[in-house]
Formats: sequence, structure tokens, C-alpha cells
Amino acid sequence: MFMRASWRFRICRGSSLDRCHARNLPFALNLDTRSVVDTLKVRDAKDVEEVVRAAIANEQPLEIVGHGSKRGIGHAMATNAVLDVSALNAVTSYEPNELIITVQSGAPLADVLSLIDAKNQQFAFEPVDTAPLLGTAPSGTIGGMIAAGLAGPRRIRAGGARDHLLGAHAVSGFGDSFKTGGRVVKNVTGYDLCKLLAGSWGTLSVMTEVTLKVMPKPEAERTLLLRGLDDAVANKAMTAALGSPFDVSAAAHLPKSAFRAKTDGLGDLAGEGEALTVLRLEGITASAAHRAGSLRELLAPFGTATLIEDTASAALWTTIRDVLPFAAGGALGAWPVWRIVCPPASGAVLGTQLARETGGEVIYDWGGGLIWAALPPKGDAHGPAVRARANALGGHATLIRAPDDVRCNVDVFHPQAPGIAALSERVRASFDPKTILNRGRLTRSAAE
Amino acid sequence: MAIMMPASDQAVLARRAEIVAALRAIVPGEGVIDTPAEMRAYESDGLTAYRQPPMVVVLPDTTEQVSLILKYCAGQGIKVVPRGSGTSLSGGALPLEDGVLLGLGKFKRIREIDFDNRVVVTEPGVTNLAISQAVAHAGFYYAPDPSSQIACSIGGNVAENSGGVHCLKYGMTTNNVLGCEIVLMSGEILRIGGKSAENAGYDLMGVITGSEGLLGVITEITVRILQKPETARALMVGFAEVEAAGECVARIIGAGIIPGGMEMMDKPAIHAAEAFVHAGYPLDVEALLIIELDGPKIEVDELITRVETIANACGSTTCQISTSEAERNLFWAGRKAAFPAVGRISPDYLCMDGTIPRGALPKALARIRELSEKYQLGCANVFHAGDGNLHPLILYDANKPGEIERAEAFGADILRACVEFGGVLTGEHGVGIEKRDLMPEMFSEIDLNQQQRLKCAFDAQGLLNPGKVFPTLHRCAELGRMHVHAGKLAFPDLPRF
Repeated sequence: MFMRASWRFRICRGSSLDRCHARNLPFALNLDTRSVVDTLKVRDAKDVEEVVRAAIANEQPLEIVGHGSKRGIGHAMATNAVLDVSALNAVTSYEPNELIITVQSGAPLADVLSLIDAKNQQFAFEPVDTAPLLGTAPSGTIGGMIAAGLAGPRRIRAGGARDHLLGAHAVSGFGDSFKTGGRVVKNVTGYDLCKLLAGSWGTLSVMTEVTLKVMPKPEAERTLLLRGLDDAVANKAMTAALGSPFDVSAAAHLPKSAFRAKTDGLGDLAGEGEALTVLRLEGITASAAHRAGSLRELLAPFGTATLIEDTASAALWTTIRDVLPFAAGGALGAWPVWRIVCPPASGAVLGTQLARETGGEVIYDWGGGLIWAALPPKGDAHGPAVRARANALGGHATLIRAPDDVRCNVDVFHPQAPGIAALSERVRASFDPKTILNRGRLTRSAAE
Repeated sequence: MAIMMPASDQAVLARRAEIVAALRAIVPGEGVIDTPAEMRAYESDGLTAYRQPPMVVVLPDTTEQVSLILKYCAGQGIKVVPRGSGTSLSGGALPLEDGVLLGLGKFKRIREIDFDNRVVVTEPGVTNLAISQAVAHAGFYYAPDPSSQIACSIGGNVAENSGGVHCLKYGMTTNNVLGCEIVLMSGEILRIGGKSAENAGYDLMGVITGSEGLLGVITEITVRILQKPETARALMVGFAEVEAAGECVARIIGAGIIPGGMEMMDKPAIHAAEAFVHAGYPLDVEALLIIELDGPKIEVDELITRVETIANACGSTTCQISTSEAERNLFWAGRKAAFPAVGRISPDYLCMDGTIPRGALPKALARIRELSEKYQLGCANVFHAGDGNLHPLILYDANKPGEIERAEAFGADILRACVEFGGVLTGEHGVGIEKRDLMPEMFSEIDLNQQQRLKCAFDAQGLLNPGKVFPTLHRCAELGRMHVHAGKLAFPDLPRF
């Protein structure tokens, strides 16, 4: 039985996070001043249930936070109560031979990565480290990795976070702990709620523990580099490579201008100041080398490809994964950054139009299916242009980096067609009918 | 019928003639079937132990017709059961006495093949194999390959999140589907996803996949296609003990090798298969592994050597390596024919589908042997060893009184054991009606309520495929209620936030 004296959560106070809606909170709070933020640091799933139930009773929305490394993504939330899961940081079990790991959601991603790396395993979807792009301290939790669902270059071959989340324990907006999925890869028992949790930005449930698939790290990697291609031709080269039987695990294009900033991981590659189209082959050494040779022949019409191996290749792909040419500390650090997902063969059309129209810079990953766009500063971050271009080609765009005031003016997440938006809202309400969890993070309208 | 289905709505049944006429107005001609003789073809799916003629069958051929049918049924409070090819092994397409059976068999056109974006846009009635065949000329294929791929429809694959022998390496349906057009029970037509790698917003495609026809009726699907691997070779490895075979599987995975397929058969399955197809299986082994490596020849050759070394170290008693396509296909012939082979040695069999952690395999097989003794029924085991998916085939004779009940109890005990060992009730066949009443073995009431609330977001009246998946049906209003909180907070003195 709960007693006031045994209140178990650590309560910290800090300054308010809420900039857009400070004068427009939907519920009257008993707070003396809006500049106060209370942080509730939970220690177990039971704590999470208690906090959420209390929040429901008080009609008090909660911001769900791990390390807070991706707090700058999304809209400012209509709350100043923070549920902090970073103390839920245990590794419950790791079974390398089963290719699974079960961890609490607040476990530091870096620690988990080094744990599985010691067994020569990895998360095959190459989770993006957003710290350089957002200019935050290096940090981040497993829960944040899943909730954001930002996958790196291998997305095209290995899938995204949603494909590697096998099971989860979570607390819904009803204040109830529930589980979904399991601890095995092959499972069709009940609805796959894991798919919804991945990429839900904490708006459906507070994940407390997750089971993830891990995969063996490839023995070797080889990257072919083609120089000097324009975006359209590079898109064609990537399409040819991905349509080949050579099992290309990543395909990216860095236009010439992406080298304007001195960027980590590009090293000498940037020296010649030419556009770079890069294609990665992974696997056992003999196979990666053999396929690199075959692919080089296939791509001969696009130029003579050079080759980099293992360490140099890995550094290059980290640069692309983490979008280092647009890093917060670099030359384009003050520019808003969009993440645009589109049909891969349409990438160059979308990217070149957008760059021309706005004077911005783009980088292509996923064979053209992912465009990172850094656009010159503007009050709306060029939102209307980005969205129009994306919609025209069947894509969608998320504003990953922008100043607070810009995010008050533009939808961070791509507006959906009315029927899908309505269904998504019903789905959200089926988990959290009182909109307790991360209220207002996904949509501007919720707080207006 | 051992399983309870939702009570029939007598008011609906009384209006059958009127309902048939209304459906005929939407789908003219032969698209509405209402005679008992013609409806017989629809009275069960692949789980043939359960049969129920539907009230009426309707076979639309446009999305608009599907929409009008669902809208009409929603307005009239009539239940609807969607059906693809009817190959479900869990009773997902079992009709309801007072329900409209909505067949998608006329949706059999491939709408678009887009090699540049590596996708196929198809109608749901197209068979799984037909997609691969349509793109084979360019070296592509659709990776998930359920054993029924000649017959099963891609719509059914999405509904069941179908797997197959190669899903260890290439994923299940959910990992290979990008988008769909779906009609909700209200008749509303929605498009989700498309040719992009991922969708905006919540991953609705992800939760629709494997939802067993309870969330909506799919009328178009966009799937990813892959280039066919350059070559494939297989090893056929025998072991004197099941444990050694299990250890071999674990060490292959532990060595970082993900084979295209890795299948295990136990002695009864080996004998049944060998007697049927004469694949040259060793008959003096307790377990047989078929391990297929695919990719570039240079890679396959090297991995074959590595796997052979691991198998030897695990004490394999026989090891054959395919040297030709004919030989590889022969290795597989017995495994692929395992179900009909078992059908030859037993009048009837029940095919189970639990998944366990790979490491629990010896334990699980030992338990199955004990249960086989207890229930006095034979059992042959085939096993997607790479991903821990067990298919025990329980042998029984439906003509002997009490045997089917014993077989079902045996099967339920196997699935309970799967959950006990850290696994799940179903790996690829779905819950349907077959495993519906076992759901509480794996999920609490709270877990199941959350799933049913999701159902309410798609189908608030609960008219689409009711009686499947969930052991207890709740009204949506009841599920949406907040139970603990208002005024009765457990912690009235909670500190201010």
C-alpha cells in the first residue's frame, strides 16, 4: 500500500521545456509557476504504473524520457511532468546463440552495443546516433532507439527497428502493464503491437522492457566508390546495384556540396571534392571481395569504381548513418534538417528539385529512398516545399532538427491523409485515451 | 464442434433472403452464392476438422464492391468472414452460420511490377508463387515461401504473417510487405504505405500484417522483391541423438552463419518421408538436419565447408552435400512432402505450430515423447530448426471414438510446453480458432484487452471475423473504460507533479 512517506520516485526540478504552449496548457495545473518541471525517476514497471495512474487521475500529461537525447525531435509537449525511465537500465538476459537480447528500456544504447559487440553481434538495422546531428551529448537509451525507430544504411537489406523488436513489456495510458510479442523471432500469436511501439515516439505506451533480435556482425565489408556522378545518374547506379544479385547492404550518394564541411569519416575521400556514390558489400571475406568485383563490372558504365575495406568502409558508413556532413557542430549546423523517405528510384528527382528550390544540401541513403536535407534557415524550415515535393512522389518528411520557434510553425511529422490520421488517432486512443503520454509531441494541433 | 463460436443472430438469419438480394445488388451475376451445394466448398479452410456453412458467400471483384458490402453489413449488423484461398491451418477463414463469407478469389491481377523500386503491387487473390513467377524473368522473387505457396494467396499471407522455410534468413511476410489498400468494416477505403521503405506515422501496415482478418479487408498489397541468390546448396546431416542435432543448430548460428533454411526431422518423420519419396534419407538416425546455404557460389562453397566442420564436431553420423540442383531438390523433397507422407501412415493428423527458443529443442522433444506416451498417440516432428518453429504432427484416427479429443489435448499440452520453455503458441499458422482458447496461456487479460482495444479502433462493432483469435469477446465500450482511477485513486496523497 502506498504511503506518502514511502514515495519512491526521485523528484527533480528544472526549467520548463514547453515553449509553444506555455500560456495555453489544456489543463489547470497546481503548479505555482510554469517554469517548474518535475521529474519522476521510476525504478521498475510498478513505479511506471503508479505514476501513469496518478497522472490519469490528475489529468496530468507526462513526457516520457530516457536520456533525453532525442528530446529536440518533435513538438514541444504540453506538460511539465517528466517520467524518467533511465534507471530502468538492466540487461535482463542476453543469449548470443538465440540471437536475442532482453533489456530494460532505459539501458544505455552504448553499453548494450558494446555488450553485443563483444560477442561479435549487432543490431542489424544500424540505429542512427542522433547526437552529432542534434548537437547533444553522446547518450541515448534502448527505449529511445525503438521509440524513434531511426534506422541506418542497412535498412534496405535488414529492415528497421520495427523488424528487430520481438517483444515488449509496456505500460499503457490506462496505467496497465501489458506485454506483446515474445522472445522468439517466429511468432504470430496475437496482434503484433511491437510494430506500433517502434517509431511511436512514446505516444502509445511507456516501454519498460524489450526483446530485440541481434545478428552476427559480417566478417568483412567492402565499399565501392564511384566519383563525380550527378544525383540522377547516381540514383540509376544505386538502382542497378540494388537490383543486382550481389546482395548490396547499403547504397548512398553524397553530392559534391556535401563535402563543404570537413566531415569525420570522409577523410581523404573528400579530398577531391567530387560527388561520391558508395555501395557496400558485407559477408564472409571471400564473398564480399568477390561480389565487389562483380559489382564493379556491372557498374562500369557509370565509371571505374575504387574500393575501400573494413575500417575505412565502416567509418564512411558511420558518417552517412549519423549524417555527419550536417552535424550541429559543422558548417551547416544552424540549418534545419529534414529526413525524407520516398520510393528509392524517385530520390534524385525529389532531392535535386528540393535543393534547387531552397538552396539547400541533400544526402541520399537507402539507394535514394532516404534523403537527408539541410535547408537554409527559414521560419517554416521550407516545410511547404518539402511536403509538396514529398507528397508528389509518394514520400513523407520529418523535421528532425530545427529551432524551437520553427517547430511551433511547422508540422514536425508528416501530416497524414484524413482517413489514416483518424485511424491513427483511434489507434493511439486505444492505448492512451486520456492522452497522458507525450501529449502534443506528434501533432501541433493537439496543443492548439 | 469442440469450440464455441459466437451465438448466431437469429434476426439476421431470418432476413437471409433480403440480405442475399442486397448483396446481389452490389455484386451482380455469379458473385453471390447461396445454395447449400455450392457453398459447401467454403465451409472450412485448411483446418478441416471444423466445418460450418456460411449464411451466404459473396465474391466481389472490385474494391468498391468490397466497400459497399462491408458498409451494408456494418449498417445491418451482419458479421463478415474474409477468405483468401482458404489454406489457413488455424481456422482463420472458418465461416459463421450468420455471417457473410467474403471471398477475395477474384482479386487475382498483378497491378504493377516496378523493378527500379524492387516492388510488386498486387491484388490479394494472387498466389504467393505467382508473384515470384511474374518477376522470375528478371531474376527476382518474393522471399517468403510458405509450403502452400502454390495455392495460398498473398492476401492470406498478409493476414496470417506467413513464414516458410526461408524466413530464417529473409524474414516473414511482415518484413517483406510495404503497403496496402484496406477496406475497414465501415466501408472506408484507406491506403497505407506504398513503395517507400517505411510509412509515415504509426506502423499500421505492421499491425495489420498477421491480424488474421480481424482488422480490415485488404484489396491491394505492395511487396518487396529480391534478386534470386546466385546459387544454393544443401547438406543433409544425420545424428544419433536429437540433442546433438540441436547443438549443431546452435553452433551454426553461434558461428555467425545464417543459412537460407535449416530444417530438422525426427525419426518418425524421416521414416514416413523416406517411405513416401525415397529421397535417400538415412533410416538409422534419430534426427536429420537439412541445411541450405544460398548466395554467391564462392560464399556457399566456403560456408558448406564450415557447416560440415561444425556438424562433424557435433558428432554427426552421416553427412551428404548436394552437388547438383537435382540432388538439392531431392534432399528437400522428403521434407516438403513430410505432411502428406505422414498422412500416408496415419488416417488423420493434427499439425501443431509452436515456437521455442532454439536451445530448448531437446527439452521440448523429450516432453513431446512423454506426452505421446501419456496420450497413446504417435507423433512425428518436423521443425524449422533455425528459428525454433516446431511442427509436431500428432497421428490419430478420427473414426476411433475419443481419438480426436485426445489428439487435441495432446496438441494443447505441446503448446503449453512451448510457452513454458519461453516460446509462443504459434510461429506461422496463426491463432484462428485452433489456438484461440489457449491464448490465456501466454497472455494475461490485460494483454488481451489491449489487443482487443486495438481491434475496436478498426472495427468498433466487432463484426469482422468475430470468434477468432480472442477467447473472450468484449464490447468496445467496456474495454475503453478506465477502471481504477477516477475518484478511487490508490494514492490520493500523491505528491504534486
